[in-house]
Amino acid sequence: MTAITVARKDLRLFVRDARFLATLGLFSAALVLILSVAFGPIFSDPAREAAASLWAALFFAGVLGLTRSLELEGESGAGDALRLTGADPYGIYLGKTLANVLLLGAVFLLLLPLTAIFFDVGTLPVVPGLLGVAALALVGYSAWGTMFAALARGLAARELLLSVLLFPSLVPLWIGAVKLTHALWNDGTIEPVRDWVKVMAVMDVLGLALSAWLYEAVQEAGE
Amino acid sequence: MILRAAGIRKRFDERSILAGASLSLEPGEIVLLGGPNGSGKTTFARILATLTAPDEGEVTLDDVPVQERRELSRRAIGFASHAPLLYPALTPLENLEFFASLTGISAARRRAGELLDRFGLTPFAHTPMTHFSRGMLQRVVLSRALLHDPAILILDEPYAGLDDEGVLAINGMLADAKARGKAALLIAHDRERAGHVQTKTLRLSGGRIEGS
Repeated sequence: MTAITVARKDLRLFVRDARFLATLGLFSAALVLILSVAFGPIFSDPAREAAASLWAALFFAGVLGLTRSLELEGESGAGDALRLTGADPYGIYLGKTLANVLLLGAVFLLLLPLTAIFFDVGTLPVVPGLLGVAALALVGYSAWGTMFAALARGLAARELLLSVLLFPSLVPLWIGAVKLTHALWNDGTIEPVRDWVKVMAVMDVLGLALSAWLYEAVQEAGE
Repeated sequence: MILRAAGIRKRFDERSILAGASLSLEPGEIVLLGGPNGSGKTTFARILATLTAPDEGEVTLDDVPVQERRELSRRAIGFASHAPLLYPALTPLENLEFFASLTGISAARRRAGELLDRFGLTPFAHTPMTHFSRGMLQRVVLSRALLHDPAILILDEPYAGLDDEGVLAINGMLADAKARGKAALLIAHDRERAGHVQTKTLRLSGGRIEGS
């Protein structure tokens, strides 16, 4: 229940911040467009280039989302009020993670048709597979990212620390997402690179499990 | 419930803020804590409210260290500071309902409505707080601290920005809390606004509490 309440609150705050949503949407769409122009107009391997562009845009959109999620608790000290409720810290963490997954899921749904059009890759038959890849990637990204965002809370260089922690930690997750998406667009199946599903699932579980263990300590630290 | 702080020390960088501050807050007591700017009153209040850990010393609730049962301690304490501790983009009703739900109050929306009514905010219940005046915001801040009807209130500058009506509402609330055996620590520069609601007046100076 705590997780649902926190996720609903975060989503409500995201939706009310028109400037943030416009920046997020336009930035990620522009990135895909720029990369399609850079790789095109004649693509050497459209499936690979499209996959790389889609996940590069999502990665950077995710940093924007996590930074905003971090700011929500810093503004006016609301994060302190959250702690004062005595609510289960892991429930709070799960709620924030869920909100980030849904936010990035919306960005993914915006970028998917744009990428398919700009790179001229067929999408419809592989949509269920792509949604599965997105779920694996975005759950892991948000699980680790929410944890790192909490770790960076209260520090002067929090955005920098968030990026420094996030980039190297999520390399396996992002490679997996690119490989699987490429396979789906190229062959219509993930069979040749199926092992990456396991790698991504392990990253997801590891992020969620590590946070279950550490989040309370991280939330209380830094004062 | 009895809240005690014993020998609290806190440093930020090389500067010592608190140097052995001690305080006991018993049921029915309303303690007014004064002191010059920068004397560490807010830091002390945050330590009592379990938001900041002391470098040395201990805060206990009924003789049990607060960090040993953090959830229970937090649900026994209501804390308001000069930072609003709210989400400005939400309405007062949404803020209070959210925090009430997380605190475990079953009728969260009803409780939020009661407090908004008490502080004269019902007409603004659905207005985002982004453009609220300091006084209006302060009423929401105090409502949040009172949501779970805590046994102990820690209010840091509760009169800031309030008009006479708001001051009366706080003092009425404190008198009611005192009558119901609850305790409060009031940190206020303006002693006159507290009227005669306090049972004890203390001063924080040189990192220690005088008069305890």
